[in-house]
Amino acid sequence: MDKFAVLQFYALLKREFLEHRNLFLGAPAVLAFLILVAAVWVASQVDSAIIVEGLEYLAVLFDGLSPFDMAPFFLLLSIPFMMTLYVCCLIYLVNTLFQDRKEMSVLFWQSMPVSNFQTVLAKLVTVIVVAPIFYVAIIFCLYLVAIIWLAILGFTNGVAIAGIGWMFLAALASLILIYFSSFIASLWLFPTLGWLLLFSAFARKTPLLWAGGVFILVGFLESFLFGSEYLANWVQSRATNPNQYLIFDLQTIVARLFNYDMFFGIAIGSILVAGAVYMRRFID
Amino acid sequence: MKRYILKNRFTLLLTVLVAYMVVLVTEGAITGRKAQFVDFENPFFDLNVNNIEALMNRGESRDDVRVNVRENFR
Amino acid sequence: MSNIVEARALEKSYGSFKALDCVDLTIPSGAISGLIGPNGAGKTTTLKSLIGLCDVEGELCVAGRDPRVARHKLMEDVCFIADVGILPKWLKVSHVIDYVEAVHPRFDRKKAEKFLSTTEIPANKRIKNLSKGMVTQLHLAIVMAIEVQLLVLDEPTLGLDIIYRKEFYDRLLNDYYDGNRTIIISTHQVEEVEALLSHLIFINKGKIVLNASMSDLADTYTEVLVDADQLVQADSLNPIHIRELLGKKSYTFEGVARPQLESLGELHTPSVADLFVAKMREDKHG
Repeated sequence: MDKFAVLQFYALLKREFLEHRNLFLGAPAVLAFLILVAAVWVASQVDSAIIVEGLEYLAVLFDGLSPFDMAPFFLLLSIPFMMTLYVCCLIYLVNTLFQDRKEMSVLFWQSMPVSNFQTVLAKLVTVIVVAPIFYVAIIFCLYLVAIIWLAILGFTNGVAIAGIGWMFLAALASLILIYFSSFIASLWLFPTLGWLLLFSAFARKTPLLWAGGVFILVGFLESFLFGSEYLANWVQSRATNPNQYLIFDLQTIVARLFNYDMFFGIAIGSILVAGAVYMRRFID
Repeated sequence: MKRYILKNRFTLLLTVLVAYMVVLVTEGAITGRKAQFVDFENPFFDLNVNNIEALMNRGESRDDVRVNVRENFR
Repeated sequence: MSNIVEARALEKSYGSFKALDCVDLTIPSGAISGLIGPNGAGKTTTLKSLIGLCDVEGELCVAGRDPRVARHKLMEDVCFIADVGILPKWLKVSHVIDYVEAVHPRFDRKKAEKFLSTTEIPANKRIKNLSKGMVTQLHLAIVMAIEVQLLVLDEPTLGLDIIYRKEFYDRLLNDYYDGNRTIIISTHQVEEVEALLSHLIFINKGKIVLNASMSDLADTYTEVLVDADQLVQADSLNPIHIRELLGKKSYTFEGVARPQLESLGELHTPSVADLFVAKMREDKHG
């Protein structure tokens, strides 16, 4: 892989970020701000005796524990961010191959020596690899602020929080788990990513309606033509168990990545992604 | 063949969807797939309940709480 | 490769509307070709098909490649400016240049910045905050900094005021064209490009009506201000177009040798604009 190809791909990723800064940076920043404001407000309403009690409990809780054992606690706290990330990625994927056709800038992008495959790949990499980085960064900032605030609270209330250092390490460890949770979740939902990209490239208007409408239609057709419900089964197994989307330790990562269901999901998702790549030639 | 598939966006979409469904249904038939909750270990959800109990029984000594919490997290 | 574009039997329909109807086109290297036609004639469809932005049927070879198969490889050798503002509106000027630099192997940043320094375009402004003239200036500055064999311009000066239009063509000829590069310009403002063209292509209703070099034009087409007593004689030679001019009738002939026409009246080579009208009207009568 030569240097030019790498720089070229990096430029494609940078374009995606610049074009959708609101989704990748704005949304989690706003969420972090709201959480902070809410926490400060709640703390101001609560009796200081309870705060002291809470601090004392926290002081004990984290002291001397291995960061990776405590990380899951922080992982759960990040659930609002993960949900925001999923929604933003959904919005991003549905619009990304549609918007530039609507505003004619597709003629500029396509007049550059960048293949349709590279374009679509950059969008996939943005969702799977890049977007979670920004969210993790914002979460880190929030945790940092929270821990500093707790330390200050402890200091002013005379509670020695011995476990603050451990808490911080646990928070850091959780960032790795958060990132991999998102990474694996994106791969697990690869057929969905492909489906959204396909209709983003296909639709002349309202790509989300097309994506949803055809999905329901195909589900009906399947049971009508084949008498089977595999599509519905797939959706059910991937959409209804939240367990699958939270990684609590590093060993799980390997198990989640290397199994038949994951590989098959990526394989059939690739059919849809290939469709999106070819669909890109129909820009009129 | 390629000419017909790539004739316009509708023929392409149809081809992709047909290919997708054929592969999906074939795999489902071969592997006998049923809707299932993938059974990956998730210690935390079991843990949650215990954690609350540990919280509620916090009256005990500090060491006890620590041991309880540690075991539950493992 | 002596012909940079070779197209045969191009067909494109939008539903029942035939945008391209059996179009044959050859454009030699180093030419400055004007693709001229009324609105809806198929200019944009033709140009877009040359760069793979429009799927067409037929044989097509541009700079040695089929644009439908290897568009992104072709884009290393071909550049395109469209009539609508196609630079992404949310990008800053500096970002566009960064992007092209990273993505195009033949882009020379210093050249682009040199061209831009003669304009009033600030590097930090977003494209949507630039005037249409500035957007075209920017796009041209970028395109001129890329070493390509072929430049395809689809009504690049549409909607621009005269200063920007003049400057556009000046830059194109003086700073860009070196005799080896090929330029294809589509426009319906014939007078503007007349002076810089080396080849002429007329298109109407999806069909190519004329494809000739400017030097051949004088041999093929003649306009005659016919004397009143020679009108019958003139009619018998099958003019392609007749119009009133200064009280006399002006006949346009195609493929009739000049010696034959000398006795009819005053001869001259028609201007591109007059020839264009003649050919368009010929379709109506012929």
